[in-house]
Amino acid sequence: MAEPKIISFLCNWCSYRGADTAGLARLQYPPNVKIIRVPCSGRVSPELVLRTFREGADGVLVLGCHIGDCHYSTGNHRTAKRLPILIKLLEYTGIEPQRLRVDWVSAAEGQRFATIIREFTETIRALPPFTEAMQWTRD
Amino acid sequence: MDARLTALRQAMTQILPDVAGVIGLKCGPAGSNAPHLFQKERPEELADLALWPKYPVPDTLRLLQKAHPEAKLAIICRGCEERGLVEMAKHTQVNLDNVTMIGLACTPEEATFCRCARPYTVQAQITVGERTAGVPDPVTDDFAAKGQEEKLAFWKEQFLHCIKCYGCRNICPQCFCNVCTLEDEKWVSTGWLPMPLPPMYHLVRAMHMTAKCVACRECEETCPAGIPMAIHYRLIARDVQEMFDYETGASLAEKPPQLLVLAEGEFERTGLPH
Amino acid sequence: MAERIGVYICHCGTNIAGTVDVAEVSRWAGLLPNVVVSRDYKFMCSNPGQELIEKDIRELGLNRVVVASCSPHLHEATFRKACARAGLNPYLFEMANIREQVSWVTTDKGEATPKAKALVAAAVYRVAYQQPLEALRVPIDPHVLIVGGGIAGIQAALEIADSGYHVYMVEREPSIGGHMAQLDKTFPTLDCSACILTPKMVSVGTHKNITLFTWSEVEKVEGYVGNFTVTIRKRARYVDQSICTGCGICQQKCPKKVIDEVFEAGLGYRKAVYTPFPQAVPNHPVIDRENCIFFARGTCKACEKFCPTGAIKFDQQDEILTVKAGNIILATGYDLFDARRIPQYGYGRLANVFSSLEFERLSNAAGPTSGHIVLRDGVTVPQSVGIIHCVGSRDHNYNPYCSAICCMQSLKFAHLVKEHTGATVYNFYIDIRTPGKGYDEFYQRLLEEGTLFVRGKVAEVTDAARLPGEEGKLIIQVEDTLIGKQRRIPVDMVILSAGLQPRHDAQEVARKFGISCSADGWFIEKHPKLDPVATMTDGVFIAGCAQGPKDIPASVAQGSAAAARVLSLIGQGEVEIEAATAIVDEVSCVGCQECIASCPYQAIEFLEAQGKAHVIEALCKGCGTCVGTCLSKSISLKHFTDDQLIAEMTGAMWTMKQLARAELEVA
Repeated sequence: MAEPKIISFLCNWCSYRGADTAGLARLQYPPNVKIIRVPCSGRVSPELVLRTFREGADGVLVLGCHIGDCHYSTGNHRTAKRLPILIKLLEYTGIEPQRLRVDWVSAAEGQRFATIIREFTETIRALPPFTEAMQWTRD
Repeated sequence: MDARLTALRQAMTQILPDVAGVIGLKCGPAGSNAPHLFQKERPEELADLALWPKYPVPDTLRLLQKAHPEAKLAIICRGCEERGLVEMAKHTQVNLDNVTMIGLACTPEEATFCRCARPYTVQAQITVGERTAGVPDPVTDDFAAKGQEEKLAFWKEQFLHCIKCYGCRNICPQCFCNVCTLEDEKWVSTGWLPMPLPPMYHLVRAMHMTAKCVACRECEETCPAGIPMAIHYRLIARDVQEMFDYETGASLAEKPPQLLVLAEGEFERTGLPH
Repeated sequence: MAERIGVYICHCGTNIAGTVDVAEVSRWAGLLPNVVVSRDYKFMCSNPGQELIEKDIRELGLNRVVVASCSPHLHEATFRKACARAGLNPYLFEMANIREQVSWVTTDKGEATPKAKALVAAAVYRVAYQQPLEALRVPIDPHVLIVGGGIAGIQAALEIADSGYHVYMVEREPSIGGHMAQLDKTFPTLDCSACILTPKMVSVGTHKNITLFTWSEVEKVEGYVGNFTVTIRKRARYVDQSICTGCGICQQKCPKKVIDEVFEAGLGYRKAVYTPFPQAVPNHPVIDRENCIFFARGTCKACEKFCPTGAIKFDQQDEILTVKAGNIILATGYDLFDARRIPQYGYGRLANVFSSLEFERLSNAAGPTSGHIVLRDGVTVPQSVGIIHCVGSRDHNYNPYCSAICCMQSLKFAHLVKEHTGATVYNFYIDIRTPGKGYDEFYQRLLEEGTLFVRGKVAEVTDAARLPGEEGKLIIQVEDTLIGKQRRIPVDMVILSAGLQPRHDAQEVARKFGISCSADGWFIEKHPKLDPVATMTDGVFIAGCAQGPKDIPASVAQGSAAAARVLSLIGQGEVEIEAATAIVDEVSCVGCQECIASCPYQAIEFLEAQGKAHVIEALCKGCGTCVGTCLSKSISLKHFTDDQLIAEMTGAMWTMKQLARAELEVA
């Protein structure tokens, strides 16, 4: 079974630093998640997430600051409104909604970050690879 | 003969002297209807006023106002078109200040055809036709009841027939962008038929319909392949209603919720960890 | 694309090289598109490491650089500067984090190396799309806003005002001074707190470069570093400060006595018209509207009758004013942990259990008991006193952190109790934390004075007598861990060294100023070790207990530190602000204004004439929320464009797919 390929968008101020904190504490987690740094989770458009799936990602993880703690005041409020609709849309299309996860990690939460990575990797591992699920033949 | 036509002609005759024109549908030579600017100089054209098949007129108003921003106009609009106009006004695409809306209530048959929850206007200054109640949407309900694999199989089958004609986008009363994301290779690959999965065109379009879709069903009617893509838009509209208590096109004062800060209770209703 | 990319894989000693096959990553990176040179080196951030980059830029004509090493939060600035020195625009540089996010979190070399390759490829693909950027420079307004008139704020204000720049100080209480004004003696020197504080308060009150707004709050902050516009609400004092002479007659004549919950910690009284303490700065009273007879019933007005200058103005309104400042220092202090939250200690229920602030007022010669340490009845002198350390601190049930000052404070209390009353004193501690200058010597002195130290976390303070000698006493139930026995120690008075916690409205204040709070609720500093007074928001600094519990010397040091940072910015005259701002493509923008509605900073304006959105660069913080919103992709964020992020993502995806295929082929 192929290893899950997961892309994660982390906001520079909270979740990316949270990932660094996990590193500083030498917390171990599976290597499947590749991190892309954005200034704010609000930068992540639904199109960008969909493009990531189109590229063959089995799972996409978007981590922002906790609501109320966004470095850019309320950027993450928009994330919190936009991306749940996308998760629903995946479900309505017959794509497992758990392939897209949105969560909140602060700069100090190294442990929480590592836990989320482990959890998400396992969730995706339990699903078929995305490209396989999307293949179809005309009967 | 549709009684509404008589009432409309009367209303139009009354208002035509005061406006640069009234936007409505005119029956064309081949029998199909197209948007037309009825003007006082040509009252004989009122004889060709048409109602069905419908065609969305909000974009017509937008284009007219671009060329003639100061013109006083009137427009015949169904419930969905009024919603379309309200959303366009919120997005600075039309200015309703100088516009008189002539609200046209749909018949029960028309409402059922569109599976419409509100087949009448609420803001139009003049109204024609008897209001009929909104009807349920069994197509969307039946789809929502399907399991995950069934849903995927359904869309795989449907999108097999999509020829990327862009008809659904072209006809949509809410599509007014100068440069369309759906034509950008970055997001939607072009030149592939049948379209590769995931169906990027349809997924991006559906996201763009968040707090925008006015449930006019023109997209489905236009689609040469008969793909019921409105199912996606309607399901999203239900989520927008539930999560953010927002009905597209209902109120000029309400801003689209996904642009704003979280209101009381919204975060809990998104289903995200909180 | 004709880019010439140089890739540098850092060993970071064995930090990276121990888990990632750096030579292999370097070899592999050399084969990526547009890569002209790929090297690995022991310490890229060192001088020789940086020189490697500079040399290659010059000699190989590199126009893009990728360094795979630690987190960009550590060394992005370092390598950007190296590029700039060699003549390459610093935004043509990208980092791959293969230490904190690869080598430190992956034990298996077989897993770490492919992950590092994916992140290097991501950076290489991304950097090809990066464009040179110039940072915008804005002038710094030399005025400074300081919020909070405690010792840290006072120190900062004096440093800045003495340098010749103007300070606006906003304090929510009627007088500056903060908690330090409430204290009796300060450890370890046992200086009288008021004696060392009041001269500084007077300097602030009379300084020509300080405008003091007391009984005031900041309502709104707009703008950015160098250019803040602050709205202040000067609450109505009902006293005209321009004619009040501070004679105090109004307070004498006022018939309404009120329990002073703030300054006297509930132990003493004040009047409805009052100054919180005699050395108040400014020495202008305020009328407590809620307790004033005139406001309640329309009668009395004794203060107005007797005021010799006619300074009482019952019709005074709150005043809203705006000031402009280039920098802000937040020194808003702490709240005391409410010991009622620990019911087993009996605070609020058992009369003779006192909090630390209450004790400070008892011990203070100017306090409600004129410095006599007596029980709640106001008369009885205690013969035995128990002082409990760590109340609400170092406790998973309340605050997990150490409040830094309670051990020294508890020792100080022990000394004062002995000095005033000669009572037997017990200190119940977990550890004795005395790190400062003269602190441990002070502890030794207490040992010599005969204070009894019991190591154990107190389980309960009760008045339920069980054994002889306990009747009428407060019994402290504790495990004496050094002898391994349970003890019941009867005392007359218990003092709880309650911990320090963030102000109840710290979150709200943080949001107002655009900074954040940690999980514990203290304002977050830019870096816990290397930058304790700056915040993530340029132009906003923090000092004193608002940043975390600390003693007076540390608060003063932070006040000075924050002042120094501000003076440095003022001295530079100009500051560089975020270059990675958003920009609208005016051709494709259709003027729908969705970006404008979603911007957290209102940094985008609508140009009516053109019907387009336009970014106000100086206000844009570069978050990209607008970009995430725009349906037609007519707005983009410099340095985080869709092309760049997609490239980064495809670089990682391509590598993962390629390496997976390679594995299958081998298998």
